[in-house]
Amino acid sequence: MTGTSFQTFTEAAQGLVNPALQSWKAGGGKVVGYFCSAVPEEILVAADLLSYRMRATGSESTEESDAYFSNINCSFPRHCFNLALIGKFEFLDGVICLNSCDHVRRLYDNWKRYVPTEFVEIMSLPRKTGPDQVAWYREELALLKEKIEKHFGAEITDDRLKGAIRLLNETRSLQRELYELRKRENPPLTGAQALVVMVAGTAMPKEPYNALLRELLDELRQAEGNGGYRARLMVVGGILDDPAWVQVVEDQGGLVVTDATCFGTRTMWKQVDESIGDPLDALARYYVADRPSCPRMYGEQERRSELVRELYSEFDCDGIIGERLMFCDQWLVEHYMLDHDLKEESIPFLKLERDYVTSGTGQLRTRVQAFLEKMGK
Amino acid sequence: MSTDNHPELVRYRSEREWFKLLHSQVKDSDVPEHQLAERTLTFCLDMYNRIIACVEEGDPFVATYYCSAPELCTAMDLPWYMVMQTPFLASSVPYLLDDIDSAEAMGLGSDLCTAIRLSIYYIEANLSPIPSCIVGLLYPCDGAPMLHQVIQHNSKWRDIPMFNADPPYWDDDRSLDYFAAELRKMAQFLEQHTGRKLDMDKLKEAIEESNKQFALWQEYNELRRAVPSPHGWDLGGSQCFSVTQCYRAGQKGGTDWFRKLIEIAEHKVANKIGAVEKERIRLFWFDLLPFGWIFDLLPWLEQEWGAVMVMDMFGNYPYTLIDTSSEEQMWRDLAKRNLFDAPMIRQARGVADNFVNDIARIVKDYKIDVVIWPGHMGHKDGSATIGIMRETCRKLKVPFMSLGLDLFDRRYATPDQLKEKMSEFFRAMGLG
Repeated sequence: MTGTSFQTFTEAAQGLVNPALQSWKAGGGKVVGYFCSAVPEEILVAADLLSYRMRATGSESTEESDAYFSNINCSFPRHCFNLALIGKFEFLDGVICLNSCDHVRRLYDNWKRYVPTEFVEIMSLPRKTGPDQVAWYREELALLKEKIEKHFGAEITDDRLKGAIRLLNETRSLQRELYELRKRENPPLTGAQALVVMVAGTAMPKEPYNALLRELLDELRQAEGNGGYRARLMVVGGILDDPAWVQVVEDQGGLVVTDATCFGTRTMWKQVDESIGDPLDALARYYVADRPSCPRMYGEQERRSELVRELYSEFDCDGIIGERLMFCDQWLVEHYMLDHDLKEESIPFLKLERDYVTSGTGQLRTRVQAFLEKMGK
Repeated sequence: MSTDNHPELVRYRSEREWFKLLHSQVKDSDVPEHQLAERTLTFCLDMYNRIIACVEEGDPFVATYYCSAPELCTAMDLPWYMVMQTPFLASSVPYLLDDIDSAEAMGLGSDLCTAIRLSIYYIEANLSPIPSCIVGLLYPCDGAPMLHQVIQHNSKWRDIPMFNADPPYWDDDRSLDYFAAELRKMAQFLEQHTGRKLDMDKLKEAIEESNKQFALWQEYNELRRAVPSPHGWDLGGSQCFSVTQCYRAGQKGGTDWFRKLIEIAEHKVANKIGAVEKERIRLFWFDLLPFGWIFDLLPWLEQEWGAVMVMDMFGNYPYTLIDTSSEEQMWRDLAKRNLFDAPMIRQARGVADNFVNDIARIVKDYKIDVVIWPGHMGHKDGSATIGIMRETCRKLKVPFMSLGLDLFDRRYATPDQLKEKMSEFFRAMGLG
């Protein structure tokens, strides 16, 4: 890829801050970080805030956060909190957490007490997806909206919310176009490159991101694409934001062509319904019931498993890699069930555990090589 | 009917035999505590017998999670058992470690909470009685919704109707209304799938009886404030919890059990008889007890250090007495008891403030010398709260210790390793 768009995305994905974010801040803009893809970015965007998906890119240690978390806690919140304690998130004007999992929800409690960020909130996302839960989450969204209006002096009208929904739907639509290109026999970008594009979308203002993504799509439509790979792979898991990890998989000859992850299809495979009159209703419905769920949502395993198999088929995959951060109960059991489902259809499945920070890649290389060989690739 | 026709009863019958053995060891004892244990074990055996009979006769019965408003089952005369029964009630069985290994071999890893792992194993290996329907709760931890999703996924269980209440994260009126509505739906679900009707007068009766049980539990806990404390780890929260949740929720036999418990404790307090001859350390064990290997550690604490477990997480039940003056209030208070009061749901479901508040209150009320966070490998939210708990204890000027163990698997951190760690800590803190 020769255009400047991918270069800009790479800058945005490989560090915590990037030129677009710095420029936003320099212009007096505020940045609010959020944990978990079920936090409605639209409300932040409608308040003219830059929504920033939390990650710990570049973290090298958990030395400071080890006094607050223990060694049975997931490395993702430990690295994030470590960076917070050493001041790497000072560019944030607020942080929004969610009761997404046992590890991340405690980030809220620790952040609130020990990090001097002015606006720190947590939302209660139900674990079921019925109408009562949509109604509950709508109330949560209304409460968040009020708090944001009060703290940031913003007025979030219905029109602004609808505008934000349109804008983010456009982002999702462009990202799906990107994924469409990956269905080609010779996809014009690798899995690691696709992840760069997706991560960048969570760290930049949406309008310039969409404009750059359009440019990139134009370039990719003309590109020759990647051939010579041994197998087409899908990745299924949670918070995978590290292109280097995907690169290690691809260095063994596999090409990652699609995913079901929290920086991938989970965030964009479905649109918020713009025909619903009340924008908060539309958002609540989308985030609780409509979008592809993660394992924390009870009663949805069958639908999740179906989506994995649909994507596997649509993208003409040869095998699936399940990635899980160590100590994540949700993904461990989800992969356990998925393994059973995939065996019934003879779909090759490799379960991999990992630490948030990619290091010591020898074992990963060996496991992927063995997986490819087992598939006869 | 033979076990061959009901392979799912293999473990259940083994557990019953295990409890029969324990029962035989205390049934003729003159020691008041043993006499109470005999009653507890009789309740326990009665539950096993009822569930086995239901399976054999094809009568309706329910599998529940804990703290799923068991008064409903009492009011509807529905036998129930807890789907996590083996790890919680029967983890002293001799085959527990083998089952843990089998769960791991099944692909359930080694970092998933052992209680959840074992429960999944018993479902997947067809070793749990298959009920008429299931009522559960999607908290307090990530493991709970995953366990229930495995049940939905399992080929033998997937057609069993299941209702899971969804507890909100907050402790406010909106949350109570939401959760009360969930409990009403749970009751409707039970009616629909068991053919039993919920008579509100019977529910009121069961709740008024459980109110008595909780009031007596509170009275008993008042007695545990005494110095020396009348009981330590071997009698208290765990038994009170099992009587009110698993065996005799809202039933007169449970209320009598509590009266006997108080009688025993009152006598000891009046005569200044403590759990040990010389109480030197009063400790707050902020978790479940290490049920899988309890006798390898807790007696040692008392014998070696005179350390008495004055309070534990499951003994700490803040006892909302349910106002039965109106139906609406009854549901609301039932929601409150199960959402805000129930141990572990209370602390682990929402923000960390309940960890802080419970430590502060218990340290003060029970004259605690040391707070121990056992750090069970499955309690990940609590383990992400250790900094907050440590700071709380520092402010209260009481030592705080985080151990790191598996409540069910003594191989994770061995009793000897834990003894050494605790001894070093007690010495360093000048305790005992």
